[in-house]
Amino acid sequence: MGKRLDRAWRIVATGFCFFVFGLGGLVLGLFCVPVLLLFFRDPRRRLRASRFIVHHFFRFFIGLMNFVGVISYELTGMEKLQRPGLLILANHPSLIDVIFIISLIPQSGCVVKSALARNPFTRGPVHAAGYITNDAGLAMVEDCRVHLAGHETIVIFPEGTRTPLNGEIDLQRGAANVAIRCHQAITPVSIRQSPRGLAKGQKWYQVPPAPMHFVIRVHDDLQVDPFSDGGAPEPLAVRRLNAHLKSFFEQESGRAAS
Amino acid sequence: MTKDELFKKCVEILHETFDLPEDRIKPESRLYEDLDIDSIDAVDLIVRMKPVVGKRMAPEAFKSVRSVQDVVDALHTLIHSDAP
Repeated sequence: MGKRLDRAWRIVATGFCFFVFGLGGLVLGLFCVPVLLLFFRDPRRRLRASRFIVHHFFRFFIGLMNFVGVISYELTGMEKLQRPGLLILANHPSLIDVIFIISLIPQSGCVVKSALARNPFTRGPVHAAGYITNDAGLAMVEDCRVHLAGHETIVIFPEGTRTPLNGEIDLQRGAANVAIRCHQAITPVSIRQSPRGLAKGQKWYQVPPAPMHFVIRVHDDLQVDPFSDGGAPEPLAVRRLNAHLKSFFEQESGRAAS
Repeated sequence: MTKDELFKKCVEILHETFDLPEDRIKPESRLYEDLDIDSIDAVDLIVRMKPVVGKRMAPEAFKSVRSVQDVVDALHTLIHSDAP
C-alpha cells in the first residue's frame, strides 16, 4: 500500500513539475524575452542575462523535482565546470539531462534538437539563451566554432536523442566533428541514472518503482589532437574519437555494471 | 578520365578519408546507408575530389547523390561540362 501510494504521489508530483516547467517556459518566451529586449540593447549582454535567467529557472526546476521526491542526485567534479569556453559532452539517459546540466553552469550555450525551438513551451528558453539547433550539419559545427572562439561554453549530447532502455549508446558524429575541427578539448560529463525513467519511449507518468537517482560526474578534459595522429584526415579522426567516446560513456553510464 | 578510372579514384579517396575497406565499396553502395557517410563527411569528400577533376562540385549537386555510381556520374558530367 505504501509503495503504491509513493508511486501515485510521484506521478502527481512529476505532472506538477512539468506543468510548472511548461508554464515557466511559456512565461519566459512571452514575457521575459520582450522585457529583456527592452532593457538590454547590447545583444551580448542580453544573451548573458537570458542565460542567467534560464540557468536559474532550470536550477529551480531541478530543486523542485528533488524537493517533491521525484529525483535525488550526487554531483562530483563540479569545480571543473568553473572555466570558460568548454565543450561539454554528456550522455543522455533521460528527458531532464539538458535541464540538469544547464542548471550546473551559469553561462552556457547548448546544441538542441531543432523541434525544441518550435515547441511553444520550450522555444522561449531556447531562443532567449541562443541555443544552437542541430539540424544543419556543417553549419552547426561553424556555429559552435564561433561560440568556442568567444570563450563560451557549449553543451552537446552526442547521442542526439535519449539512450534507449537497453543502455546501448549510439553516438552521432556531430559533437566529435566539433571537437576535431575546432581542436577543442572535451570535458566529458557522465550521467548515471538508476532506476531509469523519463527515458526514450516512456511517458512522463510511467514513473519507475523508486525515485530516480542521478550521479553526475565531471571528468578530466580529453585532448582530441592525439586522435589525428599520423596525419589522419578529419573524418577519420572523428570516427576514432567517436569510438573512444562510445566505450567511455557506456562504461561511465553504468551499462557495463548492469 | 573514363568512368572506370573515376570509380577507382573514388574508392581510393573513400578508403583514405573514412578508412572504409576497399572491398566494401561497390558502385551501388549507398553513401549514407551502406558507407555511413553523413552530410559533414560529404563536404570533405567534395574537397578531396576537387584535385581529381580540377573543378569543385557544387554542394547542391551533391545533394541528389545517393550511391557511389552517382558520384562517378556527377564527376564525369563535371569533367565534360564547359563550366569553369
